[in-house]
Amino acid sequence: MSSRGLYIRRRISNAMAITFAAAATLLGLFFLVWILWLTLVNGISALHGSLFTRITAYGPEGGLANAIVGSLMMDLIALLICTPIGVMAGTWLAEYARLTRLGTVIRFLNDILLSAPSIVLGLFVYMVIVLPMSNLTQGAVSFSGFAGGVALALIGLPVIVRTTDEMLQLVPGTLREAALSLGVPQWKLTVQILLRAASSGIVTGVLLALARLAGETAPLLFTAFGNNFMSVDPLDKMASVPVAIYQYTNDPDPALHAIAWAGALVVTLFVLALSLLTRLFVSRKKASYE
Amino acid sequence: MQLTHARQFARDSERRSHADARHDRIFRRLLKFCALLVLVALLGAALSTLWGGREVLFGQGLHFLTSDAWNPVKDDYGALAPIFGTVVTSLIAIVLSVPVSFGVAMFLTEIAPNWMRGPVSSAIELLAGIPSIIYGMWGLFVFVPFMSGIEPVLSDTLGKIPLIGRLFQGPPIGLGLLTAGIVLAVMILPFITSVMREVFQTVPTRLKESAYALGSTRWEVLWDIVLPYTRSAVIGGIILGLGRALGETMAVTFVLGNSYNITSSLLMPGTSISSSIANEFNEAVGLHRSALIALGFLLFVVTFIVLLIARLMLRQLAKREGK
Amino acid sequence: MNNRAFAVTAPAVETAHHTKIRVRDLHFHYKEFQALKGINMDIPEKQVTAIIGPSGCGKSTLLRIFNRIYAIYPGLEAKGEILVDGEDILDPRYSMNRLRSRIGMVFQKPVPFPMTIFENVAYGIRHHEKLSKAVMTDRVEEALHGAALWSEVKDKLKQSALALSGGQQQRLCIARAIALKPEVLLLDEPTSALDPIATGRIEQLVEELKSQFTIVMVTHNMQQAARCSDLTAFMYMGELIEFDQTEKIFTKPDKKQTEDYITGRFG
Repeated sequence: MSSRGLYIRRRISNAMAITFAAAATLLGLFFLVWILWLTLVNGISALHGSLFTRITAYGPEGGLANAIVGSLMMDLIALLICTPIGVMAGTWLAEYARLTRLGTVIRFLNDILLSAPSIVLGLFVYMVIVLPMSNLTQGAVSFSGFAGGVALALIGLPVIVRTTDEMLQLVPGTLREAALSLGVPQWKLTVQILLRAASSGIVTGVLLALARLAGETAPLLFTAFGNNFMSVDPLDKMASVPVAIYQYTNDPDPALHAIAWAGALVVTLFVLALSLLTRLFVSRKKASYE
Repeated sequence: MQLTHARQFARDSERRSHADARHDRIFRRLLKFCALLVLVALLGAALSTLWGGREVLFGQGLHFLTSDAWNPVKDDYGALAPIFGTVVTSLIAIVLSVPVSFGVAMFLTEIAPNWMRGPVSSAIELLAGIPSIIYGMWGLFVFVPFMSGIEPVLSDTLGKIPLIGRLFQGPPIGLGLLTAGIVLAVMILPFITSVMREVFQTVPTRLKESAYALGSTRWEVLWDIVLPYTRSAVIGGIILGLGRALGETMAVTFVLGNSYNITSSLLMPGTSISSSIANEFNEAVGLHRSALIALGFLLFVVTFIVLLIARLMLRQLAKREGK
Repeated sequence: MNNRAFAVTAPAVETAHHTKIRVRDLHFHYKEFQALKGINMDIPEKQVTAIIGPSGCGKSTLLRIFNRIYAIYPGLEAKGEILVDGEDILDPRYSMNRLRSRIGMVFQKPVPFPMTIFENVAYGIRHHEKLSKAVMTDRVEEALHGAALWSEVKDKLKQSALALSGGQQQRLCIARAIALKPEVLLLDEPTSALDPIATGRIEQLVEELKSQFTIVMVTHNMQQAARCSDLTAFMYMGELIEFDQTEKIFTKPDKKQTEDYITGRFG
């Protein structure tokens, strides 16, 4: 065979590969636009003021006020739990266990927790919080916003652990030496200097965690359960936007579907705004650090 | 006078050194305790579901794993149908999304002009940020009707092929394993893409440049240089996507059809472990609830193993990069 | 072998000054690697001692043992004695706080803490002494004067230290170190990350500071050693080859290796 034939064949396979890659990218972007556009169109047409003022008890004539409040409450509870634990765990990994075996194992398992099935984390919280609380109070307290918050905290925890660990590892070692050479003890160095130097990165981690846990439905189904009325009592059943969307989507009533879309729009905008904010934070940090 | 002052200072600093050492110890223990909570979370998830499902797991043992019956009225539970649905939908998702992810990653690392790379990869990553329940809604309200239009065509064309044809015969209702698999494929696409993109970027530029210098085309560089160099990490990324697909609940629950079926047709409705739990848990009591928790335990163990393998394969690349 | 014999028999350099740091048979290991092989030297008080040598010769390692900063990394081990005014600082019972308040250190790259200029200087003091606000303000001002930085920052004490130029940051680090009123100041290639003008300022500052502190400076820049120091030590492959008056080292060194290094024939 002539070398010209070979060249042509090679060039054709290259052109095909490039076409395929471009087509695959277009396909991916197409799905993104499709899903976002759909959410936007359906969501906006169902977006009324009553969405934020009326509760789900009114059904088709109602809104998601209680679900929005419940979601905010549980997201807050989750962050209050997973931020301190995650930051401390990440700090331990970066500052005390960078090369130790236990540190490597925990870092590794944290990565697994990061993609663990969220529904099982919901079952876990059901088993260790919902059931015992119910047994302890003879059923007075069972499903609760607190349990929902703990389940969401389990989703956010590995995100915060990982970013804290990574961000602290980026802090130059000379900063540690400079502080220690002044006689500052390790804990002060860590809290007052290293965490401060890595603070924007850690805030990024918290925002990322919030973006992940705010859209979660599965872990809330059997922990917070849902509630058609407004409740801010963390020991009561609590509504949330994702669970309300889940219930309304399963319902045959198109009026409820419309409200579900409006809720979907609210959640999606919240989550995407957070991840855009995170990006902004990261690029600013990169700009200021080097 | 001066001497006693110096001595006093020495004693002070000694005392403070002791206090510092003590505080450091307490601080370190506190941090370590928090880090151990990560371990506790994983172990707790496994043990608590094992405990919650004990009546079924230990009471029925093999019957639970091998039976395809799921009958709450007779209290007879077998995990086969949900396991089947989980595995089939995840495999469909992987088969569909791996080539597309590969294409996107190739485009983003080797083909796209520089100005395009940032925005396009951000857009693809946005896809990963969309909550899974939105995928479920999109699947149910838009994609299911779309599929019910396409399925008769599939049955008439692919369904006529011997052997694989039976995969595509069935009622054109739109709901079913194939639809769920496609929705999952879209969902895990950004995860696999971002892993592939990252590992492709770890290939040293000089390696690629030497291949280009020999006259290699972009495709040849990717296929002959980049892919062999990153093989284990690429497979790790794919398995990571598989782990995501296995455990996903909300994207598939609406579109699976929720029926305990084991069929040869991908167009038939089915169920999966996670959607069975989501659909039935709050109405289930007694043995039924135990069976669902046992399903959760199975799901956790399987995804744990899958994710473990994925992370181990990804770590090899990280190690090499470190050296 | 010869070198050690030389060092043990003649550790002291002829100076009129009292010996501040006495190093005796110091060995240092990093895993299998022996970074320092039996160092003996007497560093005089209130003089500038420069340590020079090719990279990897152990000069930075030696400096980092003087305040035991190496101890934060696992697997490092120093053997021998370092006597500061007769007290062995390598003794594990020697209080870390006392050590670090007596011996200050400035690093290669300026490392301001992520806080205000004022806080950067006050931070270290606060850990060692409880001072009233007014006294603290005086101490910070004094340290900034000492580091020749006061006039440049007096109006922006509440601003972030990260906004300062590299040379200013390095002088801030010097201010931070001298604010603790140490007896010894260790400088680890303090100008290697700076431009020539900032370098000149720091060198001038070193000259001014020597009336109050015993200064030990590691540098890879021989001209700098010649300009700023009273005594110069030349190290090679973990050994102290020669230690003498700077003028003598740079004009008629005793050892062939020193001469080769000074004249640029290796390293």
